[in-house]
Amino acid sequence: MTTTRDIGPKNPVIKVADDVAGYVEERAGALTGLRWFLFRNIPKGTSWFQTLGFAAMALFGMQAITGIVLAMYYKPDPASAYQAISHITNDVTWGSVVRSMHRWGASAMIVVVFLHMARVFFFGAYKYPRELTWLTGAMLLVLTMFMGLTGYLLVWDQKAYWATVVAVNITSSAPILGPYIGDILRAGPEFGTETLSRFYSIHMLVIPGGIATFIGLHLFLVTKLGIAEPPWAQRRAKVVREEDERRRAARERPPYGRTPVPATEPDPLRAAGPEGAG
Amino acid sequence: MATREVCDEPRDGREVNRVSEAPGNGGSGEGYSGPQAYEPPPPDPHSDPEFITRTQFLTNLVIVGGGVMTAAILVPVIGFAVAPTLKGEEWRWVDVGPLSKFPTGKTTSLAVQGPDPEANRRIFMRNKDDELIPIWNRCAHLGCPVAYAPGADGFSCPCHGGTYDSRGLVTGGPPPRPLDRLDVKIVDAKGNRVAYKDAQPDHHVLVGKAYSIDNKERPYPLHGPGEPVDGILSNLYIY
Repeated sequence: MTTTRDIGPKNPVIKVADDVAGYVEERAGALTGLRWFLFRNIPKGTSWFQTLGFAAMALFGMQAITGIVLAMYYKPDPASAYQAISHITNDVTWGSVVRSMHRWGASAMIVVVFLHMARVFFFGAYKYPRELTWLTGAMLLVLTMFMGLTGYLLVWDQKAYWATVVAVNITSSAPILGPYIGDILRAGPEFGTETLSRFYSIHMLVIPGGIATFIGLHLFLVTKLGIAEPPWAQRRAKVVREEDERRRAARERPPYGRTPVPATEPDPLRAAGPEGAG
Repeated sequence: MATREVCDEPRDGREVNRVSEAPGNGGSGEGYSGPQAYEPPPPDPHSDPEFITRTQFLTNLVIVGGGVMTAAILVPVIGFAVAPTLKGEEWRWVDVGPLSKFPTGKTTSLAVQGPDPEANRRIFMRNKDDELIPIWNRCAHLGCPVAYAPGADGFSCPCHGGTYDSRGLVTGGPPPRPLDRLDVKIVDAKGNRVAYKDAQPDHHVLVGKAYSIDNKERPYPLHGPGEPVDGILSNLYIY
């Protein structure tokens, strides 16, 4: 069908882009998926609070990019790891900038993830039907902290070494499985050469894969279920009031832990007493 | 031959078969297509729970085959990554020098070379009260290296403030048990074991396998930092 977009001369670059987009859309439905992902209704009252999740994801992206570049110069060997870090910081062009981005980005990511989790908690956004979104987010928190732990050792200086010794020994002092997990993390009963390469492998390959997977699940659920309304949203209060009215009419108990909102009009059944109106 | 067809509009939720007489097949009514008699449908083999269709069989085959192939990949990979780490530490008797290296009444710090680099450790050789006690410098709380203070004749941990007396017994802080020790023996030039009271200054001291102790200095298998060796909580750690 001809539309107003087809009237008049078209920029050849735009035409090529349109053709490419149409080619991809016809075969993969990518544009439809992109529209589903990006063009969504959001509740009234959405504010900067709801941007923390994207901020955390952006920080993960920055960590991934700077990590890839750092891995080009880093050597996961006790004899040369510290020297490699020193070389990156002092000799490589912009090495100190990239390393600082990675080092401070890691701390910032953990802070932002906690802020995001606090926002979700205090907004009540973990409640039905978003429990799975919360669980995938909790997994992302664990993976992020594990990423921090494994990355901390890679500097291989005294602080990194002993801090990681303490952290792994805390893990291994957990009951039943703790000693085994500690041995697996250390690659044996004591810290050594294989510990560093093991931490490097986990830090570079295992956890980023896990984080990317759970980010995908998390985003899918956020897109499918939509953003939760802020607690002060009027529509939400209206829904709660209507739900309470329905419960009153059906003589049901209110949900555990919630004080029902006051009735808007007297309950005729209750006003008439236990015998009822008739 | 009569042909059977399923009625397009089943009544009472039941399929109604009707037999129509095809022209020229000897039927009684030419062109009649209405129901003549109810014929129960032949039993559907798919409704038999013991009947496996080809699709079901192939689906199960793919699931089982996929599981076997996944296991064939994962079992060696996980075994490769995990199994070597769960083996106990290797140990050997290590000659740390003649007895004269450890003056009587003092505690001497020394490095012990293990059979592999991971088994290298620093110990404190306490030569007092007519006995040699090699004390591992690993804090029993979370594994930081403890330091020996000659003035106080005790050990302290810089990480979380654990303190021990000169025998390595806990005197304060969070450690759940005393400092670990190593087996020790004194040998003469021929390699024969010699009692401490009979030892000469040129006899050599050998240290061996590490072990843990409780506050009464009873030996236990070597535990990791943070793990108690006695009391009810020790049952949470399997050795």
